[in-house]
Amino acid sequence: MKRHALIASALVVVAGLLFAADRKTQAPLKEWIAFDNPRLIELLKKINGVDAFTVPALEVRKDDNYAQTAEDLEPFGGVKPYQEFFLKQMEYTGPGRAEPEPEHVDTVKLGFIGPITSTVSAATGGKSHEEALGIPMMQGARLAIEEWNARGGYLKRKIPFEMVTKNDNGLWGASGNEIIRMAYDDKVWGILGTIDGANSHIAIRVALKAEVVMVNSGDTDPTFIETNIPWVVRVIGDDRQQAYILADYLYRTLKYERIGLIRASNRYGRFGIRKVVDTSRRLQKPVPIEMAYKVGQGDFSLELTRLKKTNPQAVVHWGDAVEGAQILNQMRKMGMTMPYYACDRCVSDEFVKITGPNAEGVVCAFPWDPERRDAKLDKFRKAYRERFGAEAETYAAHAYDGMNMLIWAVQVAGLNRAKIRDVLAYLPEPWPGVTGDIPLSACLDDVGDVYLAKREKSAWHYYSRADLGIPKGYIPPVDRLSRAGNQTAQK
Amino acid sequence: MRILRRIGLMAIVGARHAVPPPILVLAAGVSASAAPPAPPGAPHASPLQLPYVYTKWRQFTTENGLPSDHVFAVKVNGNDVWVGTDDGLALIDKQQGKVAKVWKEKDGLPFRAVDGIDVDPNTGDVWIALFGGGLARLSGGRFDHWNQLNSGLVNDVVYGVAVQGDNVWAATTAGCSRLNFKTHQWTIFNEKNSPMEEIWNYAVTYSKQANKVFLAVWGSGILEYDLEKAARGEPAWNEYLDPDREMEIDLYRDDGINHVIDTGVTNVDGVMWTSSYFGGSRYDGRHWRGFSDIEGGMPSLFHNNVKGRSADEAWYCSDKGAGAIVNMEPETWVVYTREGNNGKAVVKQRTRPDAPTLDTIEVVETGINVPHSFIINADVDGNDVWLATAHGVGWGIGDGYYPRLKERAPLGAAPAQPAAATAR
Repeated sequence: MKRHALIASALVVVAGLLFAADRKTQAPLKEWIAFDNPRLIELLKKINGVDAFTVPALEVRKDDNYAQTAEDLEPFGGVKPYQEFFLKQMEYTGPGRAEPEPEHVDTVKLGFIGPITSTVSAATGGKSHEEALGIPMMQGARLAIEEWNARGGYLKRKIPFEMVTKNDNGLWGASGNEIIRMAYDDKVWGILGTIDGANSHIAIRVALKAEVVMVNSGDTDPTFIETNIPWVVRVIGDDRQQAYILADYLYRTLKYERIGLIRASNRYGRFGIRKVVDTSRRLQKPVPIEMAYKVGQGDFSLELTRLKKTNPQAVVHWGDAVEGAQILNQMRKMGMTMPYYACDRCVSDEFVKITGPNAEGVVCAFPWDPERRDAKLDKFRKAYRERFGAEAETYAAHAYDGMNMLIWAVQVAGLNRAKIRDVLAYLPEPWPGVTGDIPLSACLDDVGDVYLAKREKSAWHYYSRADLGIPKGYIPPVDRLSRAGNQTAQK
Repeated sequence: MRILRRIGLMAIVGARHAVPPPILVLAAGVSASAAPPAPPGAPHASPLQLPYVYTKWRQFTTENGLPSDHVFAVKVNGNDVWVGTDDGLALIDKQQGKVAKVWKEKDGLPFRAVDGIDVDPNTGDVWIALFGGGLARLSGGRFDHWNQLNSGLVNDVVYGVAVQGDNVWAATTAGCSRLNFKTHQWTIFNEKNSPMEEIWNYAVTYSKQANKVFLAVWGSGILEYDLEKAARGEPAWNEYLDPDREMEIDLYRDDGINHVIDTGVTNVDGVMWTSSYFGGSRYDGRHWRGFSDIEGGMPSLFHNNVKGRSADEAWYCSDKGAGAIVNMEPETWVVYTREGNNGKAVVKQRTRPDAPTLDTIEVVETGINVPHSFIINADVDGNDVWLATAHGVGWGIGDGYYPRLKERAPLGAAPAQPAAATAR
């Protein structure tokens, strides 16, 4: 085992040197996967050649390892479970591929759903708080549509794309109603959206039943994709991946023994921090304390006093930027000088504005590398700035990638929801996004690289595993079910 | 190739059972009495201990009157078969064997997508779960409508409905609502007053035998509401969660429900059957038994619903056919699939108690059985079964139906290969 770990660490360092060199070189402009990609042509032959009662013989993705989980981080790692999920791609076996294209359409409608309108927050009872993320997300998606319309819209018919925009932060699960309206009334061909974990789960259940593909660019809840439904694609690195890099940095690089946790008492905080908790326990460094706070409470003295009593070497926060900033300021005021780590939502202007100089030295997990040199990223940033008068941030960039991917799938597949799903589900190669390459796992999750963002000299700088030499535990090359040598848990 | 395989299989069957090469015969022609249950520890049944196989089927689609082929729900009440589709409600007259009436939004149906149906056994009123449109009741030819703005219904996305005495329960995407239609009082069950870690209800059923209401909840497992305890003012909820608490594995097969993302639950003869997108489970009040596609009986991991017929038989609505488990010991499944313009029933059995997988012991070419292999909902109707699929409704006519296993002549071919080679 140790030998495996050493080899893996060495490979990471070597890869890091190569990658660091590569980051200085401008990547050539490649905005989408070529329409004449041979694997794509082959896929189209198969999905276009079936009737309602035949499932095309497509080569399903099979992953050797779920979510690139190191062996020492696997749940119940000492035994072989009865069954492992998400290693084999789910097929769509319904009749949808035989649906004929509609004869007359004026526009090709694509749905967008996100938190864009201010409302009452279910979490706080006060004002809703996710519009700061949802509006850039909507703008990123809109920019993608406008650019494709400038290229001729839906190329087969020379008609424009139209974005059907819905709000998802209404109360009482309103996102479900909105998806249903988009599916049945607006007749959209695919949907991009959702940030909040609860709304996202509601939305994908509806998408599954109504059979319309849902591309998610903003919900990092690990369980979002762990539902085994074949109508969902995610194009952002999730909190599992972000927790892995953060925990590896804290425990394997910095050698911490005891970290304290504080997180929002909502789905984002609860599920985001869970992988940090699991990882700590599995690495034999159980967290002494995990404090949950109510979003919007403002005063964190109770939580911080208890946190302080456990004498943690570092504190990790999982929640929104405002609370993350307030907690950091109050920590420093209380004389808590230990390093502060956080989730990606704290990499924001709002966080920096509230924390001021306290932000210096903060390290956050982050789903992509905005400092990467890439011609299409530069092009996107310029276009976004010109169109919306603001800098493109992470939600805008991921939504731009997700909507581009969806539009590309419509161009390839035509106006058929099942075939649009197929094209996304069987991408012939990683999607060349402005946020970096997006390789999809067997459960159609983005398993591309994630990063650490460090606040240094009043700016965020982004580091890969390789940049910081962060080792990873040994990742077994085959699934546990097929792996020999383990004791079986099967009764 | 297919012909060669058939011939090969027939020869094997003929040699093994000393019967003429099998031909397709109707199950109704089979005469033998049902075998008594095997005593504990007894060896498994011989290959001639076979389950009933539905060989007589009828299909209903838009071609013979359904408002849409995408069927979400089917519910039988005597001669009436209620069908919910993504674009309307239909009533099939079973005796006449035809679609008798259709309601769409223009006919007063409050919303186009009908996701679940239950019938009040006392009044014959039809309660309708509307997928995005709330809850409706068809009574005396009139639709009454409740939604989240005009009533105590917690959300308009209603996945399932169940009538329990004077109450109707609605499983919604944001909790469960209960309406007492005598007192017009609403009760909402969610994370505040029930053990719902998540509130995304998927299915609700009522068991008169158990006097309990069961909820299948996406992310919160199976919840059981004991009506007797509730009447006594005692805590009435009981929850069943996946003991390993992990999304990416099922640690032990038989330790509880196999996953917390549950899609269906049914309780009959004291046995609870559950379905999920990760297999299914059976619970007899003391022992759990998990089912998965990896052992070759269950046709898929992905199940939209489950309907229990007895303690021994349940119909799993999978994306790869209707999987009926018809006997527990030896574990025996019959899987019905449509294949092009044909259909088949595959009988699988654990032929040795210690066998890790089930063997295919019979393949019956039935002609078209289920109208599509993507099964969404099921109901049991005496000897018959009704299956809602993504492309119509299938009616399995159970002439001569018998439960569990009995000795009978084979209806089809018995492949030589064990299930491991033929399982998906």
